[in-house]
Amino acid sequence: MMLAALLLVVQVGGTNQDPRLERLDPETRSLVVSVVDSARAAGLPGEPLIQRALEGATKGAAGPRIAAAVRRLAADLGTARTALGQRASAPELEAGVAALRAGASPEVLTRLRDARRPPLTMALAVLADLVASGVPADSASAVVLALAPKARDADLVEFRRAVERDISLGAPPGAAASVRALNTGIRYGNTVDAGNPSQPPRPPSRP
Amino acid sequence: MFDRDDDIVERVVQQLRQPVSIDPALDARVMDEIASDAAPLAARPRFQLRGGRWPWLAAAAALAAVLIARPWSGGGDSDNPANAFQFVLVAPQAASVSLVGDFNDWDPTRSPMQTAQGGGIWATTLPLAPGRYRYAFLVNGVEWRADPGAPRARDDEFGTPSSVITVGGTGS
Repeated sequence: MMLAALLLVVQVGGTNQDPRLERLDPETRSLVVSVVDSARAAGLPGEPLIQRALEGATKGAAGPRIAAAVRRLAADLGTARTALGQRASAPELEAGVAALRAGASPEVLTRLRDARRPPLTMALAVLADLVASGVPADSASAVVLALAPKARDADLVEFRRAVERDISLGAPPGAAASVRALNTGIRYGNTVDAGNPSQPPRPPSRP
Repeated sequence: MFDRDDDIVERVVQQLRQPVSIDPALDARVMDEIASDAAPLAARPRFQLRGGRWPWLAAAAALAAVLIARPWSGGGDSDNPANAFQFVLVAPQAASVSLVGDFNDWDPTRSPMQTAQGGGIWATTLPLAPGRYRYAFLVNGVEWRADPGAPRARDDEFGTPSSVITVGGTGS
């Protein structure tokens, strides 16, 4: 009983009582707390925002820069949630943000949600990582959308590694992704167009 | 003298240019070896409670400690068991290396890396729940380095490099 009461007191304290944020100067802390509380009120995860603020503090970034990064992340989490649906988990939303920032459109995220059973974290992350490796965003989106219905998480990771190996050996990133995708036997050339009738059948998904 | 050196270099180059036949199954064997090494580590439980006089009390205390220590954690998926991941950095000149990231509140004191004597290979192992984490190595307390063996974070908003690791759940 006492333990439950203690936990309740700790939880009710909210972000203002989070000792981790004491690493920020008071003005920045106030701004970050405001963004985190607003995000939580909107049903978005607050932890990624806190981690971004802590990253900035540890790296010695100026307060306004930290606050701007946290605000931008909150906005992108909202966009990812709109694209992925209300039931998207925090890791999925974070990976969704990475994919959006890599250049994937919100429509691609929605189509990925419709094409693959959750969790989508790895598929979204592989999409973002392929673009980070130099694969054009459109090509990476098309390939991941084509792989999504049937590939396991491990298959997606292996695909990404294979593409990265090819790139490190000198292959152009776009070509590396295309060739590796063709080697898997998938047909992916036109799957990015919205409403394409050749889309794979939609498995049970969530709103 | 130079002619002799050139001759030696030319012979070495010719030797290096000889085609090397690699067993096509090499990739598969290497991956099998890695998997067989990694499996016991990944399968290791995050917390081990030994049976004692008060096993349930110990379990409750551990749960309470975790809840009190991380009451603000909202991003993790506590239903999934954490897997152990090893992080490695080769830094022969470094006096200290810390692993810092989303998984340890970007606190350089929480995950100091260890090196074999004089080897310059720094390593540490952390349990990670499913999710996507940003991280970096802090060398000698001042120099930020990305993980050369992991994808780079594209949004380095603070002017220093970071890497990302994604831990999958029970994906399709």
